Amino acid sequence: MAYRREGNQEQLLSSIISTVNSHKSPACARQAHRICMVSDFFYPNMGGVESHIYQLSQCLIERGHKVIVVTHAYEDRKGIRYLTNGLKVYYLPLRVMYNQSTATTLFHSLPLLRYIFIRERITIVHAHSSFSSMAHDALFHAKTMQLRTVFTDHSLFGFADVSSVLTNKLLTVTLCDTNHIICVSYTSKENTVLRAALNPEIVSVIPNAVDPTDFTPDASRRDNNTITVVVVSRLVYRKGIDLLSGIIPELCQKYPDLHFLVGGEGPKRIVLEEVRERYQLHERVRLLGALEHQEVRNVLVQGHIFLNTSLTEAFCMAIVEAASCGLQVVSTRVGGIPEVLPDDFIILCEPSVKSLCSGLEKAISQLKSGSLLSPEFMHDKVRTFYTWRNVAKRTEKVYNRVASETVLPMGKRLDRLITHCGPVTGCIFALLAMLSFLFLIFLKWLIPDDLIDTAIDATGLNGAWTRKYLRNKKKKENTTNC
Amino acid sequence: MAEERGYLAVSGARITLQCLHHSASCREFQVRCPRLQLRSLSAVTCCVWLVAYGLFVVSQNSMVLSASIFITLIGLLAYLHFVKIDQESLLIIDSLGIQMTSSYASGKENTTFIEMNQVKDVVINEAIYMQKVIYYLCILLRDPIEPHAISEVVPLFQSSKPRLDCLVEVYKSCQEILEQRKKS
Repeated sequence: MAYRREGNQEQLLSSIISTVNSHKSPACARQAHRICMVSDFFYPNMGGVESHIYQLSQCLIERGHKVIVVTHAYEDRKGIRYLTNGLKVYYLPLRVMYNQSTATTLFHSLPLLRYIFIRERITIVHAHSSFSSMAHDALFHAKTMQLRTVFTDHSLFGFADVSSVLTNKLLTVTLCDTNHIICVSYTSKENTVLRAALNPEIVSVIPNAVDPTDFTPDASRRDNNTITVVVVSRLVYRKGIDLLSGIIPELCQKYPDLHFLVGGEGPKRIVLEEVRERYQLHERVRLLGALEHQEVRNVLVQGHIFLNTSLTEAFCMAIVEAASCGLQVVSTRVGGIPEVLPDDFIILCEPSVKSLCSGLEKAISQLKSGSLLSPEFMHDKVRTFYTWRNVAKRTEKVYNRVASETVLPMGKRLDRLITHCGPVTGCIFALLAMLSFLFLIFLKWLIPDDLIDTAIDATGLNGAWTRKYLRNKKKKENTTNC
Repeated sequence: MAEERGYLAVSGARITLQCLHHSASCREFQVRCPRLQLRSLSAVTCCVWLVAYGLFVVSQNSMVLSASIFITLIGLLAYLHFVKIDQESLLIIDSLGIQMTSSYASGKENTTFIEMNQVKDVVINEAIYMQKVIYYLCILLRDPIEPHAISEVVPLFQSSKPRLDCLVEVYKSCQEILEQRKKS
């Protein structure tokens, strides 16, 4: 991106800024942080974590903080990009191993991450998602570099199978010396505290949000001669697609006017296609394939009932989006779902075909008798529940708290690792922490901090975009005054 | 009018930037990298020869020694002729275009000329380079078919890689000239 400084306008600009700043001194008294969001998952990949990072960053920028995002390269999307309002995104050329997650060696990403943290003068590193190895790496390096760390956990885990045992161990190691942890629901907090053996006091709950203006009801798009059940989710095991394949034939036999609309793509699509084939339901079960984010609303408004069959879910944005579009939600009672919506908006069932069928039948009978809430009423209610501005405000509080805390010095950190993570893992990771510390010293010798150019701020105090925004605002004010 | 100022490269090496203002519409910038140090040359030569001598002691074959001498000589010549750039210069003439010259240590010169009609803008960009994130100056070329699109990005000062303060200096000067052109 071009760096432009119009020489003669510079003074004029700074005088504008100083006048504007003096107008809103209480806002400036607030602490401005320089935040680095790290996750393997970001746009162009689609999903809940991705949109969470994007929306949260946008609202934090609006509140005057500097935010950058660090993720790995997606095909030809490498290097540095700027998104709306000057959100700077680093797409690092790291090798992707599995499921869009990079390989974790704890060392190979240190030189680049250190360079970025220093040139952007980062104060807080905020990592997202426990599936992302880059987030774990970044937390590890940030702590070695004595930066403050925050971690947001977006998913629930089990305790029993091998992969969860290993992930939980890794999580214990990364989180034992992290300053603060954010979970998306109380169930998720409980789960994380148990998994990582944490002190619950450093874990906050900040739910996800939806953009209510994106999800508005439109009753005219519905076909009122039939009943349409909408399912929008990735077609994977975790989302309970096997349950869905049991529900579809059972209910389709019972109700001849029932239609299913399934949006999403995944390995379990074949299961649904088999069911459709076997019971000759091509007319009534439509599989739409992968949906773009902006198409989701157009699919949702075509339905009367939204069905969510997830087997595990920390928060579930999909049901909030559906409720915001005015659909009656039928969902499994798993994870954080019971916390999300009030009782009259949602019908909760056990995760079994039988229970979900009876839940759907209840919704259908309510629909037929006309005792469902009106879509507009639901939308007006839901839009007040979860907004990104509120999420950003609460996250900011976490940042303020973290900024006043101290980072553990190396000796105490090693101590914490050994005492907290069990004798074997603790010692291994203490050794790794030592090695990464030595590696950092080596890097500091190779490229001293003062050889790294400070990047021009795009956002935050005196950011290039913020100044542009202020200038536009000033112009508008001037024209209205004239 | 000529002024010479010292700057640092991204790698930490000292470079000098010389700005020559030939006339109001013609400027030249020369970035000079440090010359090949006798120290590094002797270090590399010693290393190669010591390894070769070690191999000779093990294998008792004198071919190793003569081969190492040739390798050092050919390597040095190739390095001076193809790799080591002593000076990079950028000549910008308002009505004509931009000329980039890089002179190798052996005396070889490489010149590229871009016509002014093709030049859309000169900007400072960021890139991930090796294990670093660096700023670099580049020329944006206009797409001949679509006047608003960019067909190519030509990076400048590729081998010396000056730091941001030096780039800003050159950038401002270039913008002044481009600005003049836009006015006329």
